[in-house]
Amino acid sequence: MADSYDGDSEPTTRTLLRRVLDTADTRTPRRRRSARVGYERALSESASNHTDYGSGLSRIHGNVEEQTPRTLLKNILLTAPESSIMRPESVVKPVPTPQVVQSSRRDSSRGSLELQLPELEPSTTLALGLLAPGRRKQRLRLSVFQQGVDQGLPLSQEPRGNASASSLTSSLNLTFATPLQPQSVQRPGLARRPPTHRAVDVGAFLQDLRDTSLALASPGDSLRTPVATLPTDTVLEDTQPFSQPLVGRSPSGYHSLPCLSHTEVEDAERAISHRTQSSGPRLQNHSEYMGHVAQRSVRTEKSKRHREMSEAVEAKEPEGSSGDEDISGRTGKGPSVGMRDLSSEPLEPLPTRLPPRARTPGPRPRQDPHKTGLSHYVKLFSFSAKMPMEKKALEMVEKCLDKYFQHLCDDLEVFAAHAGRKTVKPEDLELLMRRQGLVNDQVSLHVLVERYLPLEYRQLLIPCAFSGNSVFPAQ
Amino acid sequence: MEVEEDGAAEEQQQFSYRQRLKAAVHYTVGCLCEEVASDREIPFSKQTIAAISELTFRQCETFAKDLEMFARHAKRSTINTEDVKLLARRSNSLLKYISEKNEELTQFNTEQKAKKKKKLEDDNTKSVAPAEAAAAGKDGS
Repeated sequence: MADSYDGDSEPTTRTLLRRVLDTADTRTPRRRRSARVGYERALSESASNHTDYGSGLSRIHGNVEEQTPRTLLKNILLTAPESSIMRPESVVKPVPTPQVVQSSRRDSSRGSLELQLPELEPSTTLALGLLAPGRRKQRLRLSVFQQGVDQGLPLSQEPRGNASASSLTSSLNLTFATPLQPQSVQRPGLARRPPTHRAVDVGAFLQDLRDTSLALASPGDSLRTPVATLPTDTVLEDTQPFSQPLVGRSPSGYHSLPCLSHTEVEDAERAISHRTQSSGPRLQNHSEYMGHVAQRSVRTEKSKRHREMSEAVEAKEPEGSSGDEDISGRTGKGPSVGMRDLSSEPLEPLPTRLPPRARTPGPRPRQDPHKTGLSHYVKLFSFSAKMPMEKKALEMVEKCLDKYFQHLCDDLEVFAAHAGRKTVKPEDLELLMRRQGLVNDQVSLHVLVERYLPLEYRQLLIPCAFSGNSVFPAQ
Repeated sequence: MEVEEDGAAEEQQQFSYRQRLKAAVHYTVGCLCEEVASDREIPFSKQTIAAISELTFRQCETFAKDLEMFARHAKRSTINTEDVKLLARRSNSLLKYISEKNEELTQFNTEQKAKKKKKLEDDNTKSVAPAEAAAAGKDGS
């Protein structure tokens, strides 16, 4: 076993993942428990196959003879309390139990690993892309970990981080697909991570991952990523002792979490706190507009409306002239811009829920939170222009979009006040769209919703009858 | 056939009505432009006056539709001064002007009401007094 050690000094997350993928065979996903067992089984099996990896670790863990790198990794993933890093004995504890399970099921096929595969597959591309920035952090953390523990678990750290990253990305992917599902629709069984068990390092890695993913993702998606990060936030904690060394290395530039609150509130339409029954379109806009609009009325209806509007606006953006400054997606006035304002609103309540991160990394790239959402639309604008554009021109476009969305948000506020309400409702949005000429006697709001919004939004906005005489959203 | 004729006649009537309205607007715009021209000593061309009058007419249509929408949005069937103020919110000076006028009007209305009330009271007292006098006279006699 010790002879066939690879030339690589340490197996990287990429190689580990490759090994996992190679050993895994296709199978339908099973329940989580069985998945875990299967994963352990597959890990142990693959570990036995790839002796070089196992040998490397077996050398390190001389005292724990039976412990394979896979089981170790799995244990760390499952439990990984803070103290476990400093006290290796605690890590040993969960090992025997999976060992027993493994030995009993060693005969069965290796399909268990496949349980992870469907989740890993969609995230591999994203994870691999994200691993690049995270890998450095992983290695640094590994060295720190090695310092902390003599028989460091650097290899286990990496794969653990990788697995958690993949799980995070997979969960992120899940949320991307259906950002605004009502709670009843979500299946808790699909949740990958046990909320209570979370290691500090994993949390730090997830934070980094999230930041990088947020930085990579367009601001339009930022509306969804906060939703994705919500479950992780409860898990991520500031764990000593490795939080300090990590602080300096974390990608401080991307504290997009606070930025999220401001992004996408461009549209005056009001922030979309979450989707509830709102018939109005929602616009994803600059958070700042959303911010002060949200102060007045943070209602799901509004946010829904805004989101719808933003979607509608975005959809219409290509239609609208790119040179139009007044493109604010709000009410479909035209191309897109107005939507942005709305979207920023929904983000506003979400960031408030996120716990403030105690460790603030050092220098971060100067990101004006008010303009973050607009930059997405400016990029879209420059793309639609089909010709190179000066920076100054783009800045002017951004300014005009800003004003436009602000205007839309003010209008929405005034309309709501006019009706004697404090909350912006879909009726206000419809009135705004009427004034813009998007909604008239021939074209109603529902028609626009059907035309431009994806199905998930449409089912939240347009009442539909379900079984048992229940209408959602309720009228 | 009759219905068609009626429909066509009605349409023609509507059309001629619109034309008359447009002409009235055009005349008013022309008068105003003449005033401004004499003030600033800059002549206005006919096309300018025609463009302004067309613009005014279309804007009036838009205003009317907006006012109706606002009133309906506030769940009312009558257009209110609130609707008008909402319409004029864009330009601050116009909004201020309208608000001031509104206040003047309300003041005037309240004054009128007060006057009417006073008049009614006087009439009542006057009518009551002669009635009492008449009653007293009757009793007396």
